[in-house]
Amino acid sequence: MQGITKRQLLIAGAALGGLTASSRSGAQDMSAHERELYEAAKREGEITWYSGQYSAETSEAIGRAFTERYPEVRCNVVRSTSQVAFQRLSQDARAGVAQCDVFSSTNSGHFQLLKRQSRLLQFRPQNADGMLESIRNADPDNFFHTSFLGLFQLACNSQKVSEDEAPKSWTDLLDPKWRNQLAVGHPGFSGAIGVWAVQMRKMYGWDYFKKLEKNKPQIGRSSQDPVTLLNAGERSVGVAVPAATVLLSISRGNPLRLIYPTEGVLATIAPSGIIRNAPHPNAAKLFMEFQTGPHMTPVLLRYFADPLRPGSPPPEGAKPLDQIKLLAPSIEEQEKGVPEVRELWRDTFGV
Amino acid sequence: MSRLVLRGLTKAYGKLTVVDGVDLTLAAGEFVSLLGPSGCGKTTTLRMLAGFVEPTAGSIELDGKVISAPGLVMPPERRQMSMIFQSYAIWPNMTVAENVAFGLKLRKLPAEEVRRRLWEILEVVQLGHLAERYPAELSGGQQQRVALARAIVVKPAVLLLDEPLSNLDASLREEMRFEIRRLHDEFRITTVYVTHDQAEAMATSDRIAVMNAGRIEQVDAPHLLYTRPKTRFVAGFIGRTNLVEARLEGSEIGFDGCRMQMGQINGVPQGGSRPILLSIRPQSIGLHRVRPAGGEGRPVTPGTVVQRVFLGESWDYVVMPQGSGLRLRVTAPPLQVHEVGEAVWLEFDPRQMALVE
Amino acid sequence: MNDTAAALPKPVAGQAEGRRGGLLRRLRYVEPVTLLWLLLVLVLLFLVAAPLLKLFSVSFQAQETGTFTLSNYATAYGRARYLDALVNSLTLGLASAAIAVLLAVPMAWAVSRTDMPGKGFTWAVVLGAFIMPPYLGAVGWILLAGPNSGFVNRFWQWLTGSEGTLFNVYSFEGLALVIALHSFPLVFIFVKAALDLVSSEMEDAANILGAGTWTAMRKVTLPLVWPSILGSFIIVFLETIALFGTPAILGIPARINVVTTQLWQFFEYPVRVEVAAAYAMPLLLVTIGLIAVQKLLLARKAFVSQTGKGGERRMIRLGPWRWAMFGWCALVGALSVAMPLLVLLQASFAKAWGRGISLDNLTLRNYHLLIFEHEMAMTSIWNTIWFSAAAATAAVLIALLVAYIVNRRLMPFGEVLGFLAMAPFVIPGIVMAIGFYAAYASPPLALYGTAALIIFAFTARFLPIAYANSSAAIRAVHPEMEEAARILGSGRLQAVSRITAPLLRKALLGGWLIVFIVASRELSAAIFLVGPRTRTMAVLLYDLSEAGNFEVLAAFGGLLLLITLVLVGIGMKLVGRDFMLRRI
Repeated sequence: MQGITKRQLLIAGAALGGLTASSRSGAQDMSAHERELYEAAKREGEITWYSGQYSAETSEAIGRAFTERYPEVRCNVVRSTSQVAFQRLSQDARAGVAQCDVFSSTNSGHFQLLKRQSRLLQFRPQNADGMLESIRNADPDNFFHTSFLGLFQLACNSQKVSEDEAPKSWTDLLDPKWRNQLAVGHPGFSGAIGVWAVQMRKMYGWDYFKKLEKNKPQIGRSSQDPVTLLNAGERSVGVAVPAATVLLSISRGNPLRLIYPTEGVLATIAPSGIIRNAPHPNAAKLFMEFQTGPHMTPVLLRYFADPLRPGSPPPEGAKPLDQIKLLAPSIEEQEKGVPEVRELWRDTFGV
Repeated sequence: MSRLVLRGLTKAYGKLTVVDGVDLTLAAGEFVSLLGPSGCGKTTTLRMLAGFVEPTAGSIELDGKVISAPGLVMPPERRQMSMIFQSYAIWPNMTVAENVAFGLKLRKLPAEEVRRRLWEILEVVQLGHLAERYPAELSGGQQQRVALARAIVVKPAVLLLDEPLSNLDASLREEMRFEIRRLHDEFRITTVYVTHDQAEAMATSDRIAVMNAGRIEQVDAPHLLYTRPKTRFVAGFIGRTNLVEARLEGSEIGFDGCRMQMGQINGVPQGGSRPILLSIRPQSIGLHRVRPAGGEGRPVTPGTVVQRVFLGESWDYVVMPQGSGLRLRVTAPPLQVHEVGEAVWLEFDPRQMALVE
Repeated sequence: MNDTAAALPKPVAGQAEGRRGGLLRRLRYVEPVTLLWLLLVLVLLFLVAAPLLKLFSVSFQAQETGTFTLSNYATAYGRARYLDALVNSLTLGLASAAIAVLLAVPMAWAVSRTDMPGKGFTWAVVLGAFIMPPYLGAVGWILLAGPNSGFVNRFWQWLTGSEGTLFNVYSFEGLALVIALHSFPLVFIFVKAALDLVSSEMEDAANILGAGTWTAMRKVTLPLVWPSILGSFIIVFLETIALFGTPAILGIPARINVVTTQLWQFFEYPVRVEVAAAYAMPLLLVTIGLIAVQKLLLARKAFVSQTGKGGERRMIRLGPWRWAMFGWCALVGALSVAMPLLVLLQASFAKAWGRGISLDNLTLRNYHLLIFEHEMAMTSIWNTIWFSAAAATAAVLIALLVAYIVNRRLMPFGEVLGFLAMAPFVIPGIVMAIGFYAAYASPPLALYGTAALIIFAFTARFLPIAYANSSAAIRAVHPEMEEAARILGSGRLQAVSRITAPLLRKALLGGWLIVFIVASRELSAAIFLVGPRTRTMAVLLYDLSEAGNFEVLAAFGGLLLLITLVLVGIGMKLVGRDFMLRRI
């Protein structure tokens, strides 16, 4: 994915506002191509998906929706944080064993690496053409395709922090008044946090984190961990938390508030790819079609995730994309930077 | 030096009465054994003395002060007594010196005095050279001595021993018997010794209390117990004996084939005509090939040898007096050999007969 | 041979046949035991020796090329952070072991030697703490003692009006306490077993010399069981340094890195098994060192009285103090079982656990999600059951055969087998798993991601428990039982299967159950070896904890506990209430 400019996304946002929702999921109306893939996939029977992008609940729901549309092809959802998913993939490779069919990570850098090492299968899903224009050509060589549009921002517990007191920017977090109140994930586990750390380092240098450390944030593993802590009232401000998780939590009655930092929100436009020696290649291709196609959208909307195709309003409680400032490091910056920030993080935070 | 008084001491577990109204008085420095078969209540009595068991009735007094009574038991650690257990209860994870010094250290004596008394007692029991050994490295007899040293070094008011020699072999037992008595004489501690072995009791004690089924049958010096048993049980328990039923008529006592005058036997029966029980020790009957002179009030009667066993140190004969169904056991020296079926003469010594009841 | 043929006046044809027949005849007399012994040696080499040797050799190999190098050790110990992790592990181990001993020894003393009431209750507490997996307890304690949101702290703040926390579970002390609360059953079982053997006369002797109840306990009773206390201390230490789940869940927020979490980092991309192996070696050395120290400390003294009769054990009367002891046991029970269990149950039925207990916060959604909607949940339960069952069966079978050969002295070097069977005891589970990974995950065997790899690893890891159990059981069966059968014409194998095995049935069943229970909640070894389809409940729980969805996590924990309880119930029915005591 070459650098997304703000302009391109603004255009996409305008397009969203203009079109009407038209993604209907007709149960059995398959195109010829789809049916062909489906027959081949039925013979394989299942697809294993290392999911590092969506939450466990969402991933499970996606898997179920896939099997609903394509009965007799089971979806094995292996959800973990992105780093752990990549670790498992590496273990598989080192053992010379093929377990994973489709790999999804919030760290685009992973895919650069995999592509370079010829570990991905080249395939362009036909549905990719129907995605938002700015994200439909993640890789010109078609080794991977966008499957996730995640926004990572700030959130606070509305019972503990009033609207005025709440932090308004990423740099606000460095204020000593937030000592022992912050919570964040860990770049060693979460791909998104890795990407976020690369972005912060790009904007403010590593000093940002040295100062952040003084506020003693509670470090979890997944980028979602802070949401749990906020729900419980254990900490008051969540840093680099996925908007989808926060909105879902609010919808369940938890006292949270989503915050849009003034510098901008981290936009993780992350892909999925088929592993080259996938044990179920046809089912994998079918799954890629599903991920880029219209039938995944209702699932995403139910879980407050941002849809990948035009024609749907933003999730309830979220601002539309054209009103948000988006930040994202380039894919090369991600590939090179994430391992670096991991080591720096461990040295700075001690864990 | 203490006086220990047991008054009507009783212990019952539910319906089972284990110790039944025991009365006993010990003078200061006296060595008394509780002797009896298993289950006679001697160990329970000892444990009541120690304070491990609470009496159901009766009391125990030490120097005039009641230390045990139903509902009022001074705990063992405050009685100033010592005890030797059947298993010695030497702590295997402590050296000999640590074991023996334990009681002294508990009394918070100055280190110098502890050391002095420790070495004194180790010399007395001849374990000085083994002070740093662990019990696993000692023989049975040596462990026994550690237990003794540990018990005596604290200068207890009363020393209690619970069948301490039952785990040693025969020759060691003899040696340790003397050792225990010697230590008693040296330190003059009031001692209560429980055993089922009469030889042990007799070798060590000033007096022996013979117990049976929870009661004391007789308390006496050892030789008196032997020569003048007062109950059938004591007669049968102490040494071997022939229990013979005889008739007292006026001043004459008679049984199958024998007639004696009343004054000749041990024990003075109340007058009248009634059956009595005599205890006649096997060693007190003489066997002769020809009729002995008798006289001096020593009745003789003919009889036949019906059984014999050679035991090395003596012959054990069973002889039936003529015209009588009695089977009398007679002990004879090794050189005096009689055949089974042989006709012999029995000579009785009334001075060695005891009236039992 | 030919010379003798010429010398002996025998027909040539018959001679040749005789020679062949002689070899066969000799084979017929070879006892099946020798073959069995060979087979067992091979099995044990495969399960125990090979992974270890591979681990050792791999630690000296460069990653891509395989040439000899010391650079792995340099990397593993070059950074202060890695050394810190090692030091943290060792201190954590010492702390947890100390706390576990502190908790369990009074309980063991009270149950074994005094008239404290509620002994059945105390046993239930021990069993409950044994069954509850430590990582589940950790989650429960997060709910209880998170510094701002934990129930305990909120209650304290409400009670005293202060802002401070009573107990922060995200701390070294918190970590040590949570681990100790789930390891103390080991200490309890060992120390109680030893206390049961101490004759009351030992205490009587101290009493009569002037020591009261407590003095006698301190100066006589407890020193007598010192080997058990020391032994169980070491076991808890070893278990602690090998734990992965609890340090990951509590340690990361607490900023405490330990060896296991550090090893996990060496498995990140790129997978550096070589450095991981080098890093893990010192753990092995520490373990061996501890065992040696233990032998030294216990060298000369004996601890069981060698002479005399008297093994009777009477209950010490504590008077009103027995309620104090009961209170202690109840406190331990509350901390280790009741409180975490209650909060976990509450969370499992809650929509959002932070909202507290209220009627509008109740839902069955979490359980529903797991049972009907989560694809892996049911599979992982099935995986756990059959992996653990297979491992338990294999371990008990191997252990029985080895114990038989060793105890009946059937082969000249039988002790080697025994040694191999016990060796995994000194190897932290996670090290064992890495060894298995290094030896068998890649081609030629390529067991990565298969059920077989996990079953083998579990079998090897729990073999020592099974062996100790089988060994004790066989020692209790007199060899003359089999000899009586053999003199009547039964072969040895027949004698074993028809006479000995039925006698051992109960003990073996007990051993099987214990291995099963421990295997079903094993995380540290599993986490390195599972593939996507072979995830166990423990690994799934860990994955769920990464997503921070504690409600579903608690529900899954509830399911895990339910299943374990059912199995324990069956076990107790089949084997008797004291099946856990047959461990050693």
